[in-house]
Order: sequence, then structure tokens, then C-alpha cells
Amino acid sequence: MTKPGPKEVSAITATAGVPVDSEAAARIANSIGPAFDGFAAVAGTLPLDIEPASYLLVQTAEVSK
Amino acid sequence: MNKHSTEPALMSLTAVAKAIADKKFSSREVTQSCLNRIAEWQPRLNAFMAIEAESALAAAAAADADLAEGKSRGPLHGVPVAHKDMYYDTGKVVTCGSKIRKDFVATTTSTALQRLKDAGTVRSGSLQMVEFAYGPTGHNVHYGAVRNPWNVDHITGGSSSGSGSAVAARLTFAALGSDTGGSIRMPAHFCGVTGLKTTVGRVSRAGAMPLSQSLDTVGPLAQTVEDCALLTWLMAGADLEDLTASTRPVPDYMAATKGSLKGLKIGVPTAFYVDDLDAEVARVLDETIATLEREGAAIVKVELPDQRQLTAACQLVLATEAAAFHKRWLIERPQDYGAQVLMRLQNGLAIPAVSYLEAMRWRGPALAAYLAAVAGTDAVLAPVAPMPAPTIAESDVGNSIDAEAVIQRITKFTRPINYLGLPSLSIPTGFTGAGLPVGMQLIGRAFDEAMLVRIGAAFQRATDYHQRVPKLS
Repeated sequence: MTKPGPKEVSAITATAGVPVDSEAAARIANSIGPAFDGFAAVAGTLPLDIEPASYLLVQTAEVSK
Repeated sequence: MNKHSTEPALMSLTAVAKAIADKKFSSREVTQSCLNRIAEWQPRLNAFMAIEAESALAAAAAADADLAEGKSRGPLHGVPVAHKDMYYDTGKVVTCGSKIRKDFVATTTSTALQRLKDAGTVRSGSLQMVEFAYGPTGHNVHYGAVRNPWNVDHITGGSSSGSGSAVAARLTFAALGSDTGGSIRMPAHFCGVTGLKTTVGRVSRAGAMPLSQSLDTVGPLAQTVEDCALLTWLMAGADLEDLTASTRPVPDYMAATKGSLKGLKIGVPTAFYVDDLDAEVARVLDETIATLEREGAAIVKVELPDQRQLTAACQLVLATEAAAFHKRWLIERPQDYGAQVLMRLQNGLAIPAVSYLEAMRWRGPALAAYLAAVAGTDAVLAPVAPMPAPTIAESDVGNSIDAEAVIQRITKFTRPINYLGLPSLSIPTGFTGAGLPVGMQLIGRAFDEAMLVRIGAAFQRATDYHQRVPKLS
């Protein structure tokens, strides 16, 4: 997964309907970059048959050790 | 005569509730005792958003009149409390720590709050918090930073800053907090009180200000594990106003607090949670392990999956959902946010939907991997944060280019647990040489709060950190 740089941030926030100036775009890119880096090993690797609600199945599966 | 008999505000929640029920103290005496402490401490701490002395005393008098007629409303009859100012209470201003909502009057009452009212509590006011619960330090540009009663130059932690500060200074017997990225455990750790972050879905979030629908949890801060057990038992359970609240039966958490540690296995991570610790936090971790072993628990090493990935996934989810909740005000009233909160909300605007959904889809596999790693243990012990409370000045990073990095370092040990949706109990476990509290978190399986309060209460029977009271300097 490629982390968004300031230019991409400007484009995405404008598309979201909340445009930010270049200074804010640089700050945002700097702030969220580590999250994209940290998640990079997972991004793009998940199998098809997993959806967000799959979490509930794991959460409620078994309480005891 | 011990001090508790002359100053009821120093008692624990469960002890004072019993004292009122047994008519050793009236609710009015107890409420006045808390109000006296609030008057002394509030100018130093800024812990309260609103102090409602007159109505609190009137409600306490009504509780006393009921009790005189043999009527008890519940297990917390006549006990004065105040909560984080994000729990809607019909007819009351609920600022959410913000300028935007400084005049917002709630038209509903949150389920968690209502259940505590039904148990007999008396409202003494509302507590300060980080703006819209989005920050881990306790700074608030609109209402001022809340201060740590152990040293007022230091932060309380956030976002339940007033809750941590007020419980530590014994201004309230308990306080609701909320925990989306560490906001109960952080102030519990920094202020030396007990805090329970509940499993996602254990306590209804109806009428609680939202920040992240996937991560938000409601829970208590109080003096003791027993207090938190009672409060959670009162609040937990299904709610037609919040269909994400679990219908799973609510165990008897108070009974669970009576258990011993014998036969229990507590995991201690071999990495991440033990890396780059402040020396005094590392010392307290070792001392906590020794106490748990002495009380009968077996300590085992656990190798967890890469927790940095969980922290990253948590940030992707939290930032996106927070931005979505706030989008209207980001368009209409950006100037009314504090600079740091605005910056952090804007962060979420730049996360693509596919990245957000990948982080959401990974939650199940990530939880399964974590549970496999801790198989055979009853809970995992870890520090809440790598450091004791920083000073207010050194953590006042505003919207600087490095602000998010500072915030991420403070919350690095709490966010993985939010992402996994697990319960975590923060308990006071020691003090630094400079007199600042240090807490540890016990992380459990989903809906196994009972095991956490069992371990936590056993630890508190063997130690006195939770009973220490800061002095007004």
C-alpha cells in the first residue's frame, strides 16, 4: 500500500468535500504516513471471504481459555 | 476514629454506598464532603466542567428522605458522582469538551448514565474532557488543561481527563469515561486510579457522544476494582437503544472479585509492550509480576503477533470514522475546533475507503491470531504507557508536524486492544521516585471482564497503591 503524499492528500480531501490547504496537506500526510507503513504488510493480502462482520464471529466464538 | 469516619469523600464507592445504606452517613453528609473537596481542589485541577452543588444537595436530601421511609432506589442509593461531559442527560448542557457544543442541551439520557441513576446515584456535576474525546493527554484549548492531582504540572492523560483527576483527588467516588484508543486506561495510569475498558458491545453506547462506532467503549474509573466491577455490572447488558450492545448475560462481577489468583496463568509479552520502557515503568512492571506470583499466579511469557500492525490498523479505523462523524462541522465550523483536534479529524479525510475497509476486514483474523498466541493464559499483563505522566508543557504539541508521532507514542500500548475490541483493566501498581503513579493493564478475552476484576481485586488486596490519596500542596 502506498501512503498518500501531500498532493494525494489534497486530491482526496477535495474529493471528500473538505479541501485543505497545502500546509495542512503536508501535515496530514506526515501524520497518517506511519499508519500506512505499519499496515503495509497486511494491505492487499486478505482473502476474499472475510468481511468486517467476520470479527464478531471470532469475538463471540469462545470466552474461556 | 479513622480518617474515613470524618471525611466520607475518601471512602471507596462500594464502602460509601454501604455506609449510606447502613445510615452511618447520610447522603447529604457524603455529598457535602465531596463538595468541600471539590471547592478545595477544583481551582488547582480544573477537573469539573460544571459543579452543581445546590441540586446535588437537594437530590441527596431527597435520597435521605426516601431511605428514612425504607425506600432504596438501588445499590448506589444517595451516592454522589460526576461523569465525563459526553454522556447525554436530558435537560443538561453536554459540552463534549468542545466550543461547538458549549450550549448543547441533551434531549435524551444515555443508557449507561440512566442505569447508574436507576441504581440511586446523585449528580454532583460534569467532568472535563479532551475536545470530542479525541486526544490522550488532557489538554483542552477551550476549557484549559486538566491537572494531575499528584503533581499539577503533569498531565492527567485523556481523553477522560476530568474523570481521572477527580477520582484520584476523591472529588467523586466514580466517573464514567470512554475508551476508543486508551481514554480510560491512560488517565487511570497517569492519575493512579482503577479504570475498566469494557469489551466492545458490553455496555450500551446509546446517548454517549460517538467518536468511532467500531472502537468506542463505555466504562468506569473509580478507586477500586470492586467499585468498577459494581458499576460495570449495573451498566452492562442488552439495550434496545443500541443494538450493537450484546445480549450475552452479564456475569456477577462482584462475586468474581472474591476469587484468588491460585491456578491462574498470566501472560507477559516478550516484545513490544516491554520495549523502550521508562526505567521506572519497567521497575513497576517487575514488581507487579512479583506480587502476582506471590499471590499464586503463574507468569508465562507470550509471543504476540506484531502489535505495530494493530496500532496502525487502529489509527486507520479511528481516524476515518471520527472524520465521518465530524464531516458536517469540518465543513461548516472548522474554526471552532482546537488546532490539534482539527488536524487529527482532517487526517481521516485522507484515508481511502479501501484502506479503511481493509483495516476493518482484518480485525477478525487479527483477533484470532492474538487469541491463539495467548492460548492457555487467563489474561495478559502489560504497561498502559511506556512512561509516567509527562508534564503539561512538554506534551503540549498542538498541531505541530510531530504532534501525531507524540500522540502515537503515548497510546502505543492501548490502541492494539481497542482494535481487537478486548476488555482491559488498568490498576495502580506503583509510584515513581518523584511520586507519580504508574499503572498496568490486564488484558482479557472478549466479554471476560470477570477474570480481569478477579485478578485486579486480588492484586489490590495485596497492595495499597489504590488507597493512596494525593495531598493538596
